[in-house]
Amino acid sequence: MLLAAAKQKTVNSFTHTRLLALVLAAIGLGIFATKVLQHDYPLTPGLQTTTWDFEIYLDFDTSNQPVRLETFVPSNSENRRVSQEQFYNGAFGLRLNGRNDEGRTAIWTYRYPNDRKVLRYRARLLGETVESPLPDDMRRKLRRAAPEAENDLERQAFLVWSTDLRRRSADDESLADLVLEEIFVDGDVDEVDALLSPALPRPIARLALARDVLTSQGIPARVANGVFLDSARRRAEIRHWLEYHADGVDRRYFPGPDPQEFFTIWHGTKDFIRAEGISDLDLQVSIQPVNAAVADVVQRVAKDEGSAMQWFSFNRLPITTQLVYQVLVTIPVGILMLVFLRQFIGLQTLGTFMPVLIGIAFRETALVNGVILFTALIALGLAVRFYLEKLKLLLVPRLATVVVFIVICMAVIAQIMNNSGQRIGLSISLFPMVILTMTIERMSIAWEEYSATEAIKQGIGSLMVAAASYLVMTNTHVEYLMFNFPELLLVIMAICLLMGKYTGLRLSELIRFRELDTRK
Amino acid sequence: MIGRYRALRKAGLLGINERNVRLVNELNPRRLIRLVDDKRETKRLANAANIPTPELYGVIANPFHMRHLESYLDKPDGVVIKPANGSQGNGIQVLMEPMRGGWRRSNGQRALLEDIRFHVNNILSGMYSLSGQPDVAMFEYRVKFDEIFNPISFGGVPDIRIIVVRGIPAVAMVRLPTAESDGKANLHKGGVGVGLDLVTGKTLSGMQNGKTTDIHPDTANPLRNFSVPHWDTMLEMASKAYDVTGLGYLGADIVLDKTKGPLLLELNARPGLAIQIANRIGIRPLLKATLEADTEGLDALGRVELARKLYRSHVPEPI
Repeated sequence: MLLAAAKQKTVNSFTHTRLLALVLAAIGLGIFATKVLQHDYPLTPGLQTTTWDFEIYLDFDTSNQPVRLETFVPSNSENRRVSQEQFYNGAFGLRLNGRNDEGRTAIWTYRYPNDRKVLRYRARLLGETVESPLPDDMRRKLRRAAPEAENDLERQAFLVWSTDLRRRSADDESLADLVLEEIFVDGDVDEVDALLSPALPRPIARLALARDVLTSQGIPARVANGVFLDSARRRAEIRHWLEYHADGVDRRYFPGPDPQEFFTIWHGTKDFIRAEGISDLDLQVSIQPVNAAVADVVQRVAKDEGSAMQWFSFNRLPITTQLVYQVLVTIPVGILMLVFLRQFIGLQTLGTFMPVLIGIAFRETALVNGVILFTALIALGLAVRFYLEKLKLLLVPRLATVVVFIVICMAVIAQIMNNSGQRIGLSISLFPMVILTMTIERMSIAWEEYSATEAIKQGIGSLMVAAASYLVMTNTHVEYLMFNFPELLLVIMAICLLMGKYTGLRLSELIRFRELDTRK
Repeated sequence: MIGRYRALRKAGLLGINERNVRLVNELNPRRLIRLVDDKRETKRLANAANIPTPELYGVIANPFHMRHLESYLDKPDGVVIKPANGSQGNGIQVLMEPMRGGWRRSNGQRALLEDIRFHVNNILSGMYSLSGQPDVAMFEYRVKFDEIFNPISFGGVPDIRIIVVRGIPAVAMVRLPTAESDGKANLHKGGVGVGLDLVTGKTLSGMQNGKTTDIHPDTANPLRNFSVPHWDTMLEMASKAYDVTGLGYLGADIVLDKTKGPLLLELNARPGLAIQIANRIGIRPLLKATLEADTEGLDALGRVELARKLYRSHVPEPI
């Protein structure tokens, strides 16, 4: 009886699993097929066009005082286009001021606000490149004139310095090169330091000085501000550069490497945002390339009121949220990879999903740097752990000491990298930090409970799984498919279910039990 | 690779995936696994069913109990300290006898009271427990093992592992400590596993570190043809362990004491598969027969009888 019941149960759980997997896969693939066949969703990322989604997100505290918040917003010109603008104002009044010399501004006002408020501006941008021409009013020759200065002393210094530069140059072009070299490349030239405006942040002050020198020598120049359109960013930096016209040629000078594509938002040295009556402002500027083909389909489907595809699409979420989901939906693919490597290959790892978390952390450090940094820091952490072993500390305080040591190591690495001009140390942020300390804890527990070889084996296994899952998770096709066809998550779930009932041998067991292979 | 896969399947090898899916998940409900993860609970259950275990001298469950430490250690024959929720033999310390200023460890070194207190503290903080949970230190009778295995062991206590499926002993081995395993009988630490003929209790061939061997690495004596004393009692103890725990797939670890006979050390709800290398057989067909066997109305003794029959029909008598 008992046996019959047990057998029945076994059969049931296997068929049950298969049935569930079948249903899930059928639903997932069904939606997928409908989208591809009926709505012509493209299956591959295709060409990325030059359009970008752009968003300004403002989040701030108010305290029952009138609020006035003015920010520059993108505007049209011969070279660049803004379309599909949307303002999310809440209760705020909005006024657009397009008659500034510097650029177009949006002014949000509200008399009696309280609590935290959010304002959002969204638009689609078509960017410029280094070859884009400057407007005509930048092309006329100016008369040489000394600039206004704070006092006579500064005015004198400016004149001496600019006359010296002029003497050392042959024409406008070489003069401009010389000016930029003295200000940006040669580092701290005393004359330059003295002339920088103390009211402005350093990088902008340098640009402003370059502009003043050039215009005083009759070369039209202005400071431009905007964003670089290079890759999807949740917090894009506002960049500053110089535009000038020398010897009949339009030029732009970017401190740092030249961008492929960028978008000028405003000119001059004013702040991006001027605000009154608020505190604790969180400004987030995000950009994301638009996949034209998908965008087309989404728009077409959206018009089709009855479509079931309409209510579930990441494309309609705010950009910042979209970017989070773009990462999130690839995690199951990484996990699928992990399950495969564990159940079929038999790689041993520290913790269950730790390797996938390490893989996600690699996003912020890139693969090779990540592997090197992780290995180095884990080795350091373990070294300290073994030293502390001699002191016979209790478990938790000992682990805590290791964690503190790792934080110190990371701080030191960040300093060294920064001083030598490299960026990899800086890309370690909070998330990899947490993963790293957890890995060290796991590793030392494995070391303690099993053996050194076991811990190292598991460590290497984890690193391999992490690298593999990182590679699948960051694959453009995988990212594209998962983001635009989230129904594939059901298929992944089905595959996981089926793998959960795999009773065959693992690859590692073929080696472990080789002695039982009696073939001659 | 595919050829190897087929050959191993044909040899009836049971893999870890299949063990987890068909044996652990199907036969061992989670709430029952808890019973054997805690060694105090195992001991209580075993004693209630008249399965002998090493005597428990005392338990230290929190720093407040630490004042009893010296009285627990005050045994002329020595004492064993182990974490109640430990796994794989970790955290076990064997004190042979008191000596001047401290206690003699199994490897001959002296342990000071301070060292022992530190070790107990580590146990309490969960260093050896399964998921780092705070744990309890147990003080037990030190087994004075039977000398039968002296020619083929090196320091420490040999123990006998019997895998029991649905109360039917299926396959067994004896685990011998070596110099490499530091007196511990755990296979992954370098101990030697020697297969046992389930019907007669005689040793067969052995394995160490995943490779087959026929001699003990330290004493160089052949492993074959030692008869385990009290074999019938051991089989019956292992079979009874199923009755008290309800675990359909379990490994019973038994030691042989010189005066007290076989004692149940601990039960394992996820016994490993290296036993197949030690016995040089794949146990899949045997386990399949065991899973399908009719045990209706059989008690422990009856199941042992059935076990012998099943075993012999799959594994021929050694010559």
